[in-house]
Amino acid sequence: MFRVDRRFLRHFDWVLLSLLILVCGMAFLNLYSASYPPLGGMPPYQKQGYLLLMGVAGIIFLISFDYKELHLWNYPVYLLVILLLALVIFVGNSAGGAQRWINLGFFQLQPSEPAKLMMVITLASYYSRKEVMNGYSIKDLITPIILMAIPFTLILIQPDLGTALMFVIIFISMTVFAKLRWSTYLILGFSGIALAVVGWFYVLKPYQKQRVETLLNPAKDSLGEGYQILQSKIAVGSGGIFGKGYMEGTQGHLHFLPERHTDFAFSVWCEEWGFAGSLFFLGVYFFLLFWGLHVAMSARDRFGLFLAFGVVALIFWQAVINLLMILGFLPVVGIPLPLFSYGGSSLLTTLLGIGILMNVSMRRCQAGSSLEGCNDM
Amino acid sequence: MCGLKKMMRWTFLKELGEISEYDQAALDALRKRILGAGLVIVFFAAMIFLRLWFLQIHKGEEYKNRAENNRVRIREIAAPRGDILDRNGKELVTNRPSFNVVLVREDSNDIDDLLKRLSVVLKEDVSVLWEKIRDAESKQKHIPIRLKENLTWDTLAYLETHNIEFPGIRIEVFPSREYHYGDMAAHIIGYLGEISKKELEKSDTDFYRGGDLVGKMGLEKLREKELRGEKGSDSSEVNARGFEQQLLTHVEPVPGQEVRLTLDIDLQQVAEETMDADARAGAVVAMEVKTGRLLVLASTPRLHLADFEGGISTKNWNALLDNPKHPLINKTLQAMYPPGSTYKMVTALAGLAKGVINKDTTFFCPGYISFGNRRYNCWKHGGHGTVDLKRAISESCDVYFYQVGMRVGVDALAEYANKLGLGSKTQVELEYEKSGLIPTKEWKKKRYGVKWQDGETLSLAIGQGFNLLTPIQLCQMTATLANGGKRYVPQLIESVTDADGKVLESFTPKLAGELNEDEKKYLALIREGMVEVIQGARGTARSARIEGINMGGKTGTAQVVRLEQYKHLKEEDIPYKYRDHAWFTCFAPAEDPEIAVTVLVEHGLHGGSGAAPVAKAVMQKYFADRMAVEAIRKSIIQ
Repeated sequence: MFRVDRRFLRHFDWVLLSLLILVCGMAFLNLYSASYPPLGGMPPYQKQGYLLLMGVAGIIFLISFDYKELHLWNYPVYLLVILLLALVIFVGNSAGGAQRWINLGFFQLQPSEPAKLMMVITLASYYSRKEVMNGYSIKDLITPIILMAIPFTLILIQPDLGTALMFVIIFISMTVFAKLRWSTYLILGFSGIALAVVGWFYVLKPYQKQRVETLLNPAKDSLGEGYQILQSKIAVGSGGIFGKGYMEGTQGHLHFLPERHTDFAFSVWCEEWGFAGSLFFLGVYFFLLFWGLHVAMSARDRFGLFLAFGVVALIFWQAVINLLMILGFLPVVGIPLPLFSYGGSSLLTTLLGIGILMNVSMRRCQAGSSLEGCNDM
Repeated sequence: MCGLKKMMRWTFLKELGEISEYDQAALDALRKRILGAGLVIVFFAAMIFLRLWFLQIHKGEEYKNRAENNRVRIREIAAPRGDILDRNGKELVTNRPSFNVVLVREDSNDIDDLLKRLSVVLKEDVSVLWEKIRDAESKQKHIPIRLKENLTWDTLAYLETHNIEFPGIRIEVFPSREYHYGDMAAHIIGYLGEISKKELEKSDTDFYRGGDLVGKMGLEKLREKELRGEKGSDSSEVNARGFEQQLLTHVEPVPGQEVRLTLDIDLQQVAEETMDADARAGAVVAMEVKTGRLLVLASTPRLHLADFEGGISTKNWNALLDNPKHPLINKTLQAMYPPGSTYKMVTALAGLAKGVINKDTTFFCPGYISFGNRRYNCWKHGGHGTVDLKRAISESCDVYFYQVGMRVGVDALAEYANKLGLGSKTQVELEYEKSGLIPTKEWKKKRYGVKWQDGETLSLAIGQGFNLLTPIQLCQMTATLANGGKRYVPQLIESVTDADGKVLESFTPKLAGELNEDEKKYLALIREGMVEVIQGARGTARSARIEGINMGGKTGTAQVVRLEQYKHLKEEDIPYKYRDHAWFTCFAPAEDPEIAVTVLVEHGLHGGSGAAPVAKAVMQKYFADRMAVEAIRKSIIQ
């Protein structure tokens, strides 16, 4: 079953690996400070270390077979993830009024995280198989919409609006990327607006509405949602040019910053490393995303291209939403900064996504490839 | 398992087969679209970059300050207020620790229940406690709110031993005032009270916080800046829950400066107690004639300072307002009275200086004088016969001064009254001083729109007209007459010393005015008359005589009303508020005056009997040591 070919190892994407190590290294360093002083139990950075090892195992597993096998595994795994999402509603551990986790003993699985990656693979599989020259009609989209709507609804029920919306965003990114007809754009646009209006009045819970309202008028609620964003802005801004120094951040260490090692981990980084450090990190991070696009570009086939693009979109949108939230442009939505925020499910999912990227990258020179650098085949 | 897998592979790979021929053109089209995706990433990266630049570079300093404010909590430490001493270093006001109950809201989760239980211990109504919390609603939750001040030892002990039952309740030690001489000199010292919102807004420094005590009256108010000292502070680092992590800096408070008064508390005590003895309402002022140092500044009835501590109750306040003896008014300088016969020195000086009379000028007093179509009586119905100036002063002959007044006129009287400091504030360092009133022709025209009547000049000459003065003005005038014509500003502060003993301010005499050389010449004559008042056989204040000390003085009786219906009544039967005010002003020793004492007794009837005994008591105390030495010397000689 594991058909590891020497040739593939020769094409191993060392750049991607280096970028990954760099980002994870900074994340690990930051996590140590962000979770200081320790609260007892296993410190988050240690947990994160174990999870990284697990993730590496996952990556090795994922690159060991040709990604086209994912066509096969797609639907069974999709069903499994949907089952887990359904399960979480009944037996999940709740936190803050939402049931999001399944306790696996060694760590709490948040099925909505792998579900995101599942969504990418599923859509990539669908769009790569369904090739239409003039763009998709609305009829072509019925299947992917249903495939997206099932996890979306299950996560909305938890309730976790932020994560649920991620599915919509991934869907839109990949669908638009796959090319639509103009009529499809119009139909989707209008029904999207209609759904949003209905959602606002009938589906959103008061606290979710409040989050949106707080963003529009932060002064209204200075000790609630607005407080978190304000503290984050203070943390980021007070870093100045060169930061307060590693382990010297006061906003984080004195608990002014909420969720300082999870969603707001990057605020801690900004506070301690300043503008210079933030730019360095973001430089590496965005380079990783561009490299992901490069992988998509050089993929040997449609599936590989869609997979790489989907993984980049998944990481990119989460990062952008998280960063804009930290910088005070978006409400608190509970979206982590992939690879940087503490959180096992997110980290493992993202690492698996990177594994897919590596897989696509390694197998770029197979049959049909017209790319340069594949001459040695 | 294996069969299932094969089935799946068949299903999907069959599909795969259909698209296994790659359409290179379609793939290339997709690759082009990736460039669009790259642009989206660039767009957001730029946005995040600009936002970071805005927050960290552009607003960096501002957010640094905000982060600092977040983490640093400054707790103020009250500075001990400066002591107030008398001229001999006797402590009048010092500090003692006062124990207050404070509530820290963030440490208490059920304030309602807490207050209910606390109200029983403090014997306060729950609504009163709630009121205090509501007043401080806007403050941050870690700032203590004072619920009750000056706990008794019993309450303190109970709360200390049961502190577990009262989460959020703490005992705060706060320096509070201790008055070593009770209510002595209460009007001068003043009292402290919680700073009002208005005062807080008006304050030009950020020194004060709500709940601070500030001087509300007297020197406590006027010397607030010196007395208050500088607050100390503890800056500690706190976390988001408000728990203190570490002490960052500690600044010791700087104790307030020590204010030493010119007052002699022993003399003050004699003055106040003598006034109190007969429930006299009035004022006593004693002053060093050669410097202007005030030795006594007493106003009765006294204020009860303890009533004011921590805010006076409405009941007590109304009682003070309704009291017919007006205890709230410092009668030494905030009340004006007609001067009565004490004004005759002004008339005498005006007459001498204008050349209307001299040492030997005499007038005949038949007991009255007719002027216009009116009869102006002398207080002595039978008349004084032929009197010269000296006798006119000593026996207070009204007719003599009618004659002088008639000849010099109202404006000359005003000129010399002004030269002696009457009609304007003495500039003593106390609030709300009245300037008195010295009428002129012009003044009457302006004030009433009618011409001055010459008959009014007659009344004025014996101190019964429009003219009004304050006891401190009369004392200053007496001192000026006694010292040969120098008018000193009455002063209260001997020195101000900081906590290290460094003298920051010390007494220097301040000259407010001086008579010219010609005028000064006449003062000896006036003094002679004043000495006769006490030492002479027929003087009006012979009762004030102290053996061994020659004194000069003048009595005065200021009519309050001129109601015919009371004329025939015996003095004791006249209602209190219609009785005449009694004045007595004097200086001693006659040969080389050192001290001037002025006494006003409201509705005290006669200067000689109503006011002079108080002045005598003060003088006796002042000269007590000297007289004792003299007595010993005498006994040795014998």
